[in-house]
Amino acid sequence: MADELQFNPQVQVLKVSYDGIIKATDKNLFNWPKQSSIFDAHPFFEILREFEQSDYSNHTALNFPCIHLEDNDSERICDITITFEKEEITIILFDYTSKYKDLNQIAQQKNESILLAKELELKNKYLLEKEEFKNSFIANINHEIRTPLTSILGFVEVLETTKLTFEQEELARIIKRESRHLNALIDDMIDLSKIESGTLKIVEERFPFKDIMDGFRESYSKMAEDKQIVFETNIDPNIQEYLIGDRTRIHQIINNLLTNAFKFTEEGKITLSVTKNYQRTNKLSLTFKIEDTGIGIHEENLPHLFERFSRFDQDKQIPGTGLGLAIVKNLVDLLNGEIKVISEPEKGTTFNVKLPFKFEITKTAPNRKKKKYTLPESSNKFRVLLVEDEEITQYLIMKILISKGNFFVDIAINGQQAINYIERRKYDLVLMDLTVSKIDGYQATHMIRNNYGDKFISGVPIIGFSGKSNDTARDKCIRSGMDDFIAKPFEQEELMYKIIKQIAKKAAE
Amino acid sequence: MKLSKKVVLLGHFGVGKTSLFRRFIDNEFSQEYKVTLGVQIKKKIVQLPDGRELSMIIWDAEGHSNSEDTRKSYLLGSHAFIYVFDLAREETYININKDLEYLKENYTKVPAKVLGNKLDLVNEKEISAHLKTNNIPFDCLTSAKTNKNVQDFFSDLAEEITK
Repeated sequence: MADELQFNPQVQVLKVSYDGIIKATDKNLFNWPKQSSIFDAHPFFEILREFEQSDYSNHTALNFPCIHLEDNDSERICDITITFEKEEITIILFDYTSKYKDLNQIAQQKNESILLAKELELKNKYLLEKEEFKNSFIANINHEIRTPLTSILGFVEVLETTKLTFEQEELARIIKRESRHLNALIDDMIDLSKIESGTLKIVEERFPFKDIMDGFRESYSKMAEDKQIVFETNIDPNIQEYLIGDRTRIHQIINNLLTNAFKFTEEGKITLSVTKNYQRTNKLSLTFKIEDTGIGIHEENLPHLFERFSRFDQDKQIPGTGLGLAIVKNLVDLLNGEIKVISEPEKGTTFNVKLPFKFEITKTAPNRKKKKYTLPESSNKFRVLLVEDEEITQYLIMKILISKGNFFVDIAINGQQAINYIERRKYDLVLMDLTVSKIDGYQATHMIRNNYGDKFISGVPIIGFSGKSNDTARDKCIRSGMDDFIAKPFEQEELMYKIIKQIAKKAAE
Repeated sequence: MKLSKKVVLLGHFGVGKTSLFRRFIDNEFSQEYKVTLGVQIKKKIVQLPDGRELSMIIWDAEGHSNSEDTRKSYLLGSHAFIYVFDLAREETYININKDLEYLKENYTKVPAKVLGNKLDLVNEKEISAHLKTNNIPFDCLTSAKTNKNVQDFFSDLAEEITK
């Protein structure tokens, strides 16, 4: 009541007959004429029609708070009281427009903030769904592309071993180069998708730092020779031989930066320098400096350098996915490092990557060089069971193995058939596709390892292979009892290394 | 006598009651949210299939999280209730059965239609399945923004309450 007095409402009183005719009005708020119909004044008053038809004798007065009444251009917010008398109805309008407008503002702010929070939640959910869709799409397309790519790469290698004209050799070389490029693009897309979805895991492992640097020196010196430029490495001799960090990702960062430098440098020099920033207890920080005398980058492009698909060179002949530097930046961030770039057009570019490492204080370095294996001596050929349902991959692997001259190959098109073959014949090795039908590669391996007392069966070396190239697939293979894993598309050399290694290891048992 | 029926829009705040009201009456839509305080009332003449004209008086009542909080006088003399909920906000329909029960008990002769609005923000198949799984009743799914099912819903309602 105090509020109402404070707001001091203007009041209009109307007397209306039960058939809706305005009998009396003071016109304080609305200029509705006498003898006109109240039903034409505003649709609110249509409620009175109900009183014509119903028995509202129980209602002596009705209150309708906060009713919006419009009349031509004006709008008033009124509390309306209706009282019923024997012959007529009294309508009293209390104009509380300013009070309700104040309350309206408060309600508006309160409701808006709740709705805004919900809107944000919905937007986040939508973005998350889009991200999940993108990642699963990339994972699926990865598998679908890798399978035919395996065949392309494999058959080109087979083709290269046949008699070819110079032109055919050149064409085969181009197919191989482009297939490798496509494979690299898929790898980049997968990596970037993993980084962005937060599923890329950084591992800490002990690795031979100096071997890796030697590897870079060997492979890039050859490339420099071909390009007739100079490649130098300056590695601080005080850096430990073995470090602890994510070997794969560190290799990927340096490799991407060096590949980039080689792409854009046609004369002069490329230098890889590694210096120690500091060392405390078992921690140290290194700076990798990759310096080239290539085409350089214009200043206005530098802020966009690490964005996806950013390519500033106009030369479409220079291969690249435009993802390499985006991956480098993301990986450096994930490793808690820093990357900086200095560049001048026509003079060259320098990338400085600062990365933290750990090292073991006491252990001596084991020899972790890739061991060479040879097939054991045998008067018979080695029998390999290939479990694969895709004809093109069957043909490719058979072609590779048979061309070596010392393998027999049987083919099973599903896991069940593989089990049947293994029960009937002794095999030196099984090449198991993970996604074959009936019984998949994991299940078939589990059965081979666990269901047979005969060691020739249960102990047969098994190598899994799949279009899924991630660490999870590899781990799952090893956990299910396989001896090794190879990702599609594989190169002949890698496939043969793994096959020979497993057969040699088995023979040495 | 002129045929006139009162229909009240009920439901939580922000579910789009005013948008449906404006879409039906004036065929307009605004993305901007404006809170409704109290009630605003407009009428629309609807042509019935039998040739009669119905004056539909639509009461767009302020939003409440349960129907019991709606001022009783607003509901007086109603011929239908339209209970609106937001398909993208579960809290606007999770207790719908309790609300409908309240209306059924206190306004026995007044039909209550349930309308899920903001269809443009959700996947129709998914949300229909979700509502059915969670036993959420609904008569129609609409979008005041795109005008999907709005005019048909009101036409059907007009026919139903004049039978």
